[in-house]
Amino acid sequence: MNPKRFSSSTRPSTTVKSRFACGFLRALWRINRQRRTSTSASSREICRRYLRVKVAADVSMASAVGSRRAWSRAILLRKLRNQGQNGTVRVRRMSNIPRMRKRNICGNKCTEEVAGTCQAEQLRKLVPGGEEMDMCNLLGETAHYIECLTTQVNVMRRIAEILST
Amino acid sequence: MEKESTTPLNWTTSSFGMEIQPNDLNCAAADQLPNSFFNPNWDNSVDQSDPFESALSSIVSSPAASNAAAIPGRECLMIRELIGRLGNICNSGEISPQTYVAGNTTTNNNSTNTSGYNTPLNSPPKLNLSIMDSQIRGSLPINGHQVPFHPTLAPFSADPGFAERAARFSCFGNTNCIGLNETDFPYGLMPGMEYGKMSNASSNQQFKVVGSQMGVQENNKQEGNVVVKRKFIRLPRPSTPENAELGDSREGSSVSEQIPGGEVSTKVDSDANARKRKSISRGKAKETPSTPSAKHQKTTVENEESNAKRSRQDEDAGNEKDSAKAKAKADSKAAGDGNQKQNKDNSKPPEPPKDYIHVRARRGQATDSHSLAERVRREKISERMKFLQDLVPGCNKVTGKAVMLDEIINYVQSLQRQVEFLSMKLATVNPRMDFNMEAQLSKDIFQSRGALPPTLYPLDSVMRSIPYGYQPQQMQALHGGIANETENRFPVNSLSALSRNNPSVQLHLPPMDGYGEAVPQVSAPWEDDLQSVVQMGFGQNQQQSFHGSGAAAQMKVEL
Repeated sequence: MNPKRFSSSTRPSTTVKSRFACGFLRALWRINRQRRTSTSASSREICRRYLRVKVAADVSMASAVGSRRAWSRAILLRKLRNQGQNGTVRVRRMSNIPRMRKRNICGNKCTEEVAGTCQAEQLRKLVPGGEEMDMCNLLGETAHYIECLTTQVNVMRRIAEILST
Repeated sequence: MEKESTTPLNWTTSSFGMEIQPNDLNCAAADQLPNSFFNPNWDNSVDQSDPFESALSSIVSSPAASNAAAIPGRECLMIRELIGRLGNICNSGEISPQTYVAGNTTTNNNSTNTSGYNTPLNSPPKLNLSIMDSQIRGSLPINGHQVPFHPTLAPFSADPGFAERAARFSCFGNTNCIGLNETDFPYGLMPGMEYGKMSNASSNQQFKVVGSQMGVQENNKQEGNVVVKRKFIRLPRPSTPENAELGDSREGSSVSEQIPGGEVSTKVDSDANARKRKSISRGKAKETPSTPSAKHQKTTVENEESNAKRSRQDEDAGNEKDSAKAKAKADSKAAGDGNQKQNKDNSKPPEPPKDYIHVRARRGQATDSHSLAERVRREKISERMKFLQDLVPGCNKVTGKAVMLDEIINYVQSLQRQVEFLSMKLATVNPRMDFNMEAQLSKDIFQSRGALPPTLYPLDSVMRSIPYGYQPQQMQALHGGIANETENRFPVNSLSALSRNNPSVQLHLPPMDGYGEAVPQVSAPWEDDLQSVVQMGFGQNQQQSFHGSGAAAQMKVEL
């Protein structure tokens, strides 16, 4: 990954932002429509809705970014798997998984040299799909993930503000 | 450095010191460029210079003028032909050409006035031809790139035989003339000097190339080359102009000696080299008398050469300076202007390797591929860490990768927590039915929006104020705080106190009335401890449900 591509691709553009906003609003609208049908506003209902909103935010962010990034791929894949467990969708085994596993081995080795293993492992857990990345990719993905998270937070905050008023 | 492909044959049999220098120049050029180039340098010897100059007859008239032409790789064939013809000429014995074939990797300069094919009269022409052909062939595959051709023909252009040859090779001359003429003229009478400089550097490179041919092919070649360059430079400098010629011849002989060693493994017999050496020495003695017509020019040339040699040292210093400037340009092989090329050449000899070896081992560093790759990887990591440093607020002050990683982790966690909190908030907000429309409008708004909404900001501040911990803990704390507010179900945490004090939390609590149960459920998937505390009985499905979009459905079923 050359630095140019690295720097350019790690900066989520406004298009990603708008795409995320559109996708998230649509998902939110769908969730709220369901809620409207079910008039009960119990705490469980709200909790369930919270989980749905959370997942919707993640997935819409990942889909806005696309499959270029490892973390967005991981989120989308996870969503697919969960759907598969529900029986709605059969998960298609992704071909690149074994390759990434292989990279993981050397990644662990490298990690120990560069920084504390525990920190790297924590970061791996935090960044979606980070378990399968070596240190270089992990840092790059983390950078992109952070930027996307900030945009996500901004958009969601704005939406919440608008809705609450 | 893979310069093995380049087959520079330095026949430093030039009768004139000038000739030797250009050869050196060619060599230097070869080193710098990965692709082997054919730089047939036409020595001051009358024969060779003539064909080139014929094309440049006007230029030829001036003794000092040297023709430098950048010849594209296709013209290498032309060079071959020229060589063959030269060989024929040599056979005829009319002219004493010293065949100089310099396989120059560098596209830029072969601006060597004399360093063409100098076949001493005495030397058997055929041997030279065969050698040269083989060399040429070897170089040809690599020659795809431009071949810089700088035959400095000026001194001997006067010979009639050369004119005929020149007519034959007019195409050659045309190509040749372009670059060098320009370069030569600015220098005026002193073309030889600069070329001499160039030649020194180039000769070093040629040696390297030869070594590579011999199978040495070492990564350390560059260093060795540098040493060689120094040697050459040293030798010509001290010598007075007249002595300089001798010194050059000596150098040339030394060069030839080194070359035969390399050639032995490859193509040429050491005997042939020895002959050539002899012939060179002879050629010097003979050439001057043999070519009466050229004598005048030669004398002038020699004077010039001597001047050039004297000025070499100065020029060398200048070259080094120029090299720094030219570094940036070194990569561009195709640069057209002869002047630029010369500058490049000057610059190249000191630092040829950088273009091709991106990772260089410093002294004491391991040079095996593994350690090199490791170094590259570390550089990459540090680069990304730097990038992350800019992203994460408050990370600029931090030094040390471990601490920085901690900061990054905390920041990511806080962001994720914010997302969770916002999603919670969105779930609790009672949506209006025109929500979608408003959202569409809001989309445009928040794209341009810079500042945070004041009402929400306290919440964010709370989120940030919470010491960075791990997600589950934080969630626990937050929920605990909320629970305390609502149902007093959980023990009060310090964090909860924070949240309590914060009015924004208070604001949010009312819509969350029913959350006493819901919140712990949410937090459960993150933390096992919470699960035990909550005891909601959701059990096994929570993990999956949390991650999946279908979580809600599962939850619903359970509930």
